[in-house]
Amino acid sequence: MKKLSITKGLAISALTLAMSAGVALAEKTVLISGWGAQSGPLKSFGMNSETILKAAVDKINSEGGVKLKDGSMAKMVYEYYDSRCNAEEGIALARKTATTTNTLIAIGPTCSGVAAASFGVFQKKVDDASDTGLQMPLFTNTAVRNGLAKISQWTFRNTPNEPDMYDKLFAWVRKTKPELKTIYGGTETDQGHSAGTYSKVIVQAAIRHGFEWVAGPIDEVSGKIASGHKNVIKASSNWLMADTSFSVQARAFKKSKADVYLVSSHPFTTCGMLKELARQKAKPKLMIGLTSSSSAETMKGCAKQAEGMIIPTSFAPVTPEAKAVADLAAANGAAADLHSAAAWENVMIIKDVMETVGVSANGENLEADRRAIRDGLEALKTTPGLIGTVTRNQEEGEALKPYVFVHAKGGNWEVLYDPR
Amino acid sequence: MNIEFIDIVQSLIDGVLYGSTYALIGLGFTLIFGAMEKLNMAYAASSIGGAYVGLGVSVLLSLPLYAIFLIGPIGGGLLSVLVYICCFRYLPSNNHLAALMASIGGLFFIDEIISHETDGSPLDFPELGIFSEAYFEIEFSDMFLGFRGDLIFVMFASFLAMLMLMYLLYRTRLGLATRAVSQQPVAAQLCGISIHQTNSITFILAGVLGGIAGCLAAASVGVISPLLVLPLTVKGLIVTVIGGLGSIRGAIIAGLLVGGLESVFLLLRGVNERDIYVFLLLFVFLVFRPNGFFGAEIDRD
Amino acid sequence: MDYYLGVFQTIGVHTLLGLSAYILLLTGQVSMAQIGFFAIGAYSSGVLTVIFSWHIYPALAFGALLASFFAFLVGFPALRVKGLMLVIATIAFSEIVRLITFNFVWMVEKDGIMVGADGAQGFREIRYFTTNGWESSQVVTLIWIFVVIVMAMLWWLDRVKAGAVLRAVGNDELAAQSSGINLTTVKVAAMTAGGFIAGLGGGLYAHAVSYVDHITFTILMATFAISYPILGGTKNVFGTLLAVIFIQGILIEAFRFLEDWRLIIFGLLIVLVMNFMPDGLVSAFKKSTSGKDK
Repeated sequence: MKKLSITKGLAISALTLAMSAGVALAEKTVLISGWGAQSGPLKSFGMNSETILKAAVDKINSEGGVKLKDGSMAKMVYEYYDSRCNAEEGIALARKTATTTNTLIAIGPTCSGVAAASFGVFQKKVDDASDTGLQMPLFTNTAVRNGLAKISQWTFRNTPNEPDMYDKLFAWVRKTKPELKTIYGGTETDQGHSAGTYSKVIVQAAIRHGFEWVAGPIDEVSGKIASGHKNVIKASSNWLMADTSFSVQARAFKKSKADVYLVSSHPFTTCGMLKELARQKAKPKLMIGLTSSSSAETMKGCAKQAEGMIIPTSFAPVTPEAKAVADLAAANGAAADLHSAAAWENVMIIKDVMETVGVSANGENLEADRRAIRDGLEALKTTPGLIGTVTRNQEEGEALKPYVFVHAKGGNWEVLYDPR
Repeated sequence: MNIEFIDIVQSLIDGVLYGSTYALIGLGFTLIFGAMEKLNMAYAASSIGGAYVGLGVSVLLSLPLYAIFLIGPIGGGLLSVLVYICCFRYLPSNNHLAALMASIGGLFFIDEIISHETDGSPLDFPELGIFSEAYFEIEFSDMFLGFRGDLIFVMFASFLAMLMLMYLLYRTRLGLATRAVSQQPVAAQLCGISIHQTNSITFILAGVLGGIAGCLAAASVGVISPLLVLPLTVKGLIVTVIGGLGSIRGAIIAGLLVGGLESVFLLLRGVNERDIYVFLLLFVFLVFRPNGFFGAEIDRD
Repeated sequence: MDYYLGVFQTIGVHTLLGLSAYILLLTGQVSMAQIGFFAIGAYSSGVLTVIFSWHIYPALAFGALLASFFAFLVGFPALRVKGLMLVIATIAFSEIVRLITFNFVWMVEKDGIMVGADGAQGFREIRYFTTNGWESSQVVTLIWIFVVIVMAMLWWLDRVKAGAVLRAVGNDELAAQSSGINLTTVKVAAMTAGGFIAGLGGGLYAHAVSYVDHITFTILMATFAISYPILGGTKNVFGTLLAVIFIQGILIEAFRFLEDWRLIIFGLLIVLVMNFMPDGLVSAFKKSTSGKDK
């Protein structure tokens, strides 16, 4: 009896093993790739993005995976690479994923410089046979410098539209604090995003809503985006992204006696500048910062001095979905902010597009699938966002995301105004 | 903003005061160069690393804030000796190139480890207590000239360090040994002075000084980040060269000078051009006055 | 395939960078200026193809020549500065070049968009190769043709008197001078040649990658440039090539999964190699394969 059972047991086990091996061999997967800065000073951006990307992929798989063209279900798998905020590596990764893997669509990168560089190696216009650029869709979650996605018809972004956010921010400030009239500011001129947004978006948005530059109007600068941006830089007190001494700049801010200070830089120099301003007792009636500084890093560096600073952001735990992602991130040792949370949105959008256009697993139909996904992404007029519906700008491949205004309060970024 | 004379004076004051941090770092570079005729490119890295160690240990053990300024120098000294063993001790003493490259390797190693451990994120670094609150203002008709209290403290610290170093070099046996080893290594050995022991002690000394410099530099900024390392290395080199390699007085004076000039360049020409002028200054000194202001003190007869 | 071709492109360009430092190392000059010449070549050739619609070959040539011109100018003050001081002076030069690229703005409108160098925002859309239908394989071939030519010339240099003269200066300047060698001519010539090679590499890099900005030309890159011939040794050009293949091909690419450990290992590697093989990798090989002593 026992012997028979053992033989039977062994036979059943062997069969099961063979069947599962067969199943494993035939397991259908769809591959997405991602890259971001996982070393260097912007390391936290890449780490956060990957953690949230993984959580999103896990959620999709736990609910059955992605439905293929032929009706069967496939598991979504991902690969995430370290691009070190280095343009050369970003390009190598774009090429690597496009030409040696079955990646259907990629997410990334972190740094705007890497995006500017790597977007350039993609085919500019689809169906241009003379253009030997890469033909794989790329859907960015972090790199936010203005105007990059239009470099190629294969590149898309799900990043906040800073011109729109700052426009609405200054409109709101004008309405709620009519006593504020004058502005003065500075930026880190060697950081493309900070300097670009400051000189082309923020100052012009303020002027558009009736604020005045404290020393008198700057030449060529009007409410129009990017007008007179060189003169904006010249008229401001600026620094470099690794600077550590801000006394000259802070003094200029204090001397200006402006109502509103505009500090457009990332956490390191924002904190340095804010601390120096506090030291010189330069207290404006309002401080406005750069989107990227609405993160835990700023709170880690200078919570006290940042108190009261207002920043527009496209992510805050104000909806159940957003809160869930924030909690999931925290549970996995990461932080959800406007950059990393977009990775979640991207993965979900990608799944929807894949199911709408119908793809095949394991790279069986790679070129056609990539093209279909690209077309499907372009066709979207709106996408679901964590804090509201995101409208897409099809001309350029950019997004118009819902936003909230947060302010630094007691060591946290709290929602000050929720216009949704 | 129109720039008035008082603005220039103020920026000079701000710059000179901030230059004390450069002076302290320059002291360490120049000490090692004077003693061994070698450039320790990893010096600023081990100094900031020391400050990180101080911060980390204090936070881990929940020590009061001033403990950072005691543990930091110890950390700096330890890291410095590590750099000595890995990058200088076993290399042939006449191969300056190998030691230079090895210390550059050490610089990147320490810098990347710091980034790795802290995820590259800037950390809040305690400021110099009551000194940082202190901000002295002197009134001139209706104008004010401001002086940062904490930087005045740093400036005193660097003068003190300079005096102590000079005492050490010229009035103690250790100093005698250091100078002997630097001027005539073979003869020194024949007199029974151990080269490696003397050099190790020089490195420890420089390291402790560097740890203090790192802590004070981070304290005057208020944040500590791996971004501090490379610029401080470059500034330290500039200061050492302009002051004269091996000259202790030179490092202090050059540090204050570079700090002051940098600040004035910033005011007059803006941040985008500021560093161009600083590097041009360095270039000019290197070509026309390679011995800096004071030439070499340590191996002067 | 494109990916591996991309890696070969990177290795090729970095080899040129390393060779430009190699020729200077032969004369005993440790130069951190090569990345500065690289930048000059990159920006100037980029401006020519993007703004003036030049063909790639004259643009590359111009970039290399402009870089060599500046190298020639740097060569003279470099004479006055020896050893470690030269390192600092060349760091200063490279930083000055980097800061100038940071301020360099030259944009024109083409086909409705602004192209050109945009200061801190970088110089993008250097798309000569993709717009003119060059396949990746063709770009790689172009780069490596140049690499092979430069390597061959440097190899040949060692077979004629010029090589011996260079190395004589590198080994002992006083002795070389006493033998009648004009130090100025040799050192400035080496600096100029190094500048030419670096400028060529820069032009190829800019077009292969399609984007350059000031962050590309930092002291870290300058360190890479000089570490290739130092790690590879100055016995011959293959050492530099091997070092580039190792660092760019294996450490940075193949070990990508190590993330930020790669740079930590890079630092450690330099320390270890300097301790155990101060004359570089190639000499270590030769030692182990050359058999017994006589």
